[in-house]
Amino acid sequence: MRKSRAETDIRRHIALVENRRQWTALAILMALLLLLPHLLRWIGAGGWLMFTNFTLLTVVAVLGLNVITGMCGLISLGHSGFIMLGSYGVAILTVQLGWPFWAALAVSTPATAAVAAIVALPAVRLKGFYVAVVTLAFFFIAQYVFKNLPLAGSFHGLVGVPPPRLFGWKVRTETAWYYLFFAAAVLSVLASANIARSRFGRAFCAVRDNSVTAAGLGIHVGLAKIRAFFLGGLFAGLAGGLWAAYVSVVRLDQFSLWDSIWYVGMIIIGGGGSTAGAVAGVVLLRLLGQILRTATMGGWLPLNSNAVAALTYAVYGLAIVLFAMFQPHGLMAIWGKLRARYKSWPFGV
Amino acid sequence: MTVFLQLFLSGLLLGGVYGLIAMGFVITYRSAGVFNIAYGQFAVLGAFMAWVFLGSPTAPRMPFVPALALTLAAAVVFALAIERFLFRRMIGKPVVASFMLTLGLLAVLHSVVMLVWGARTTAIATPLPKGPLFLGSIVLAREYLLASGLALLLAAGLAAFFRFTRLGLAMRAAYENQTAARCLGVRARRVAQIAWVLCAVIATAGGIIIASVIGVSLLLSELVMVVLAVVLIGGMDSLGGCLVGGLILAVSQQLASYYLNPLLPGVDGIVSMVLIVVILLIRPTGLFGTRAIERV
Amino acid sequence: MIYPISGRGRASSERAARAPRPGRVADESAIRSARRRDITGAQQASDILLDVRDLELTFGGIRALAGLSLQIRKGEILSLIGPNGAGKTCLINCITGYYRPQRGSVLFQGHDLVGMPAHRIARLGVGRTFQDPTTYAGMTALDILMAARFSHGRTTLLDAVVHFGRSRREEIANLKIAEEIIRFVQIEELRKQRLAAMSYGQRKQVEIARALAMEPTILFLDEPMSGLDEVMKEIVNDLILAVHQKGVTVVLIEHDFQAVTELSHAVVVLAGGLKIAQGAPEEISSDPAVREAYLGSAAGEPAEEVRV
Repeated sequence: MRKSRAETDIRRHIALVENRRQWTALAILMALLLLLPHLLRWIGAGGWLMFTNFTLLTVVAVLGLNVITGMCGLISLGHSGFIMLGSYGVAILTVQLGWPFWAALAVSTPATAAVAAIVALPAVRLKGFYVAVVTLAFFFIAQYVFKNLPLAGSFHGLVGVPPPRLFGWKVRTETAWYYLFFAAAVLSVLASANIARSRFGRAFCAVRDNSVTAAGLGIHVGLAKIRAFFLGGLFAGLAGGLWAAYVSVVRLDQFSLWDSIWYVGMIIIGGGGSTAGAVAGVVLLRLLGQILRTATMGGWLPLNSNAVAALTYAVYGLAIVLFAMFQPHGLMAIWGKLRARYKSWPFGV
Repeated sequence: MTVFLQLFLSGLLLGGVYGLIAMGFVITYRSAGVFNIAYGQFAVLGAFMAWVFLGSPTAPRMPFVPALALTLAAAVVFALAIERFLFRRMIGKPVVASFMLTLGLLAVLHSVVMLVWGARTTAIATPLPKGPLFLGSIVLAREYLLASGLALLLAAGLAAFFRFTRLGLAMRAAYENQTAARCLGVRARRVAQIAWVLCAVIATAGGIIIASVIGVSLLLSELVMVVLAVVLIGGMDSLGGCLVGGLILAVSQQLASYYLNPLLPGVDGIVSMVLIVVILLIRPTGLFGTRAIERV
Repeated sequence: MIYPISGRGRASSERAARAPRPGRVADESAIRSARRRDITGAQQASDILLDVRDLELTFGGIRALAGLSLQIRKGEILSLIGPNGAGKTCLINCITGYYRPQRGSVLFQGHDLVGMPAHRIARLGVGRTFQDPTTYAGMTALDILMAARFSHGRTTLLDAVVHFGRSRREEIANLKIAEEIIRFVQIEELRKQRLAAMSYGQRKQVEIARALAMEPTILFLDEPMSGLDEVMKEIVNDLILAVHQKGVTVVLIEHDFQAVTELSHAVVVLAGGLKIAQGAPEEISSDPAVREAYLGSAAGEPAEEVRV
């Protein structure tokens, strides 16, 4: 039975991938990504696999921040804190209580989301900067709590988070980690896109654009904010838990306020609100950092490690400043303009 | 009882300094509408610049007055530069964009300080009266005594400036609505420049004062958390509120450090955070801030 | 055809001059008034839908509403008029939950709306448009209509994350409803256009569509025709009538007295936070107290005389 014209229109409207051309592009991209570890090794850049793994975890985490900040417009400077919760959650359950990894992850991730929802409570009545300050305060309080919690190994942290078992095998090699993280990233991208095309995603956008009149749409603004934080915490908890297993040591000094700031920067640079934008922002900033690192380690720029860190901060900061000043809607806006120009070439926009 | 008095009085002095520093933040928020989260870095930069000219007590460089003059001149130049090249562009753009700009600025300034001076801590040679002052059995820091006095004077001066002078009125108008103010002939550019200059100068002065006690280092950037707490308690657009907020925060810190530290070590460090959460829960606009009613 | 001589005669003749169809004169308004009365004649003297009692609202030192009482009947079109600052928008804000009155009550279908959060009032079926439709600049018309369907959804967060299944079915159903409303309001060409790229009049149409998407029982329109040219005003005028025909009780805040006379069954005049008159449009325009407070004695002759 053929669907009517209106039906097809509607389905196309909510589809993520619209036409045959996009499907082919997506298929090629997926094939490349699935073969990436082998490709990298083939060109002798096997060392980049670790970087890729970190980037994939960052993608998962930042997609969470995208729901809070990009879609719902609540600036959160505490996202690193949520990731910390996810990591410590898994670490405490596995190291101190002897749980297997997957069980620990299954508990730690929703627990992080719940804490995130609680952090959202003061933000319910607040706007703009106040939310940012509350999340900042949360981050420092969380750090204090973990510093003084004997269960969390205080200063030395927790050592010995076991690697997960997949179908009987322990995940040990970089390639194995890659496929695990890639699956997590793909699921996160799908989840994020699905949220965007649901009634909650639109409610988030309405709250972002005007939280006062959003109530006129029948939207409970406070609940929307709590939901946004809950979802953000879910992604962050997942990323943190996986990360704990990856590096097997969880310590306080691995989580800093600067990370929170970079995550927000990735959202701005990528383009507020869209899944693709968030991924683009993560990839861009991480690549910049990696290029800088290889350049200095490789001897082109003789700098000590402190200076490398400082330079990375400077580059990240500069990127944020430039985008904030000249293109606050990020890479996605630039992409949109390029597409418009391409479509109307040679006539000009 | 003496203990409580001791804590209260040292809190009072420290609170004056906190209040003074917070005023720089409030000025840019009120006149330029910018939530300057890079404020802590201004203080660090200012303190390091001062150190460059003043030197440390063991290796002093220049006499105090010219060194201070040079430092303040540098602060003025810095402020005018960021107003001209960064924030002038942001007029008319959404406030969130300016906030993002200050986030990026935070990172850039931090890295500049790290690259130039490294992660060192060093003492700074100021002629501020040092050492303890004994009032009976109460010990107070002499440095903060002068600083508090200065803070009160400055607060009074700024309040008078905003209320009674034409320029001050212009700055208040610019905060309410920049475009409308420009239509009324307020030179928005001049107002913005003055706001940023005041911000940088106050941050520098505050940085020097605190550095004379704890030394010059990147740690000074933590001042921004103190400033945020003070500003939120006092009200984000109230200068007088800064002093009250500073007082409340400093006294709470002293009390916590004496009574609570034995139970929860280091809790005085996060007193500012806890106060932030509490005040945002019960009274987001702060004690003296204006409550805006949303017109729909 | 003799064009009527009235204070608004020039406006009427301009409208006639601009109308695409020949012979369209100001008595069209009389026809419309008659049509409206015919349709709703059967609904006369129906029950009270919204009952406002002794509403008092004070901001700082300003008394916006000073003990206002008002009844709105089901199925009527009521206009609220009055000078600026009389409290019209304040009244709507109090009813729809954006302002909290110090005293008084608003009874609607057995609920007292005072003290209820705005989103709950909206979900009960009390709809409204906002005077300034420039919010949601980045969203398209379709997005906004879909957003307005939020409260009619039953899916959970988990459904949304998974999408296929309940969430997808709900999306498709809501999209169909949104399309229907777009057809009803006749804004098909604006479906995929961003609000920021629309003209003021188009935004007002989208705003009304948005309010309709929530399936209101009573709809408050806050100056739907202000700032519009005559052609747009006609369109909005017809739209309001069409909405009313669907069974929605409509309350208008308007300054254009001609539109008020054409459209309304009843007119309520506010001044200084109080109701100073209530009745049919013809009675109101000849009420001396109203003329004093609002129309002003220098505004020209009251009540159009229509001569064909």
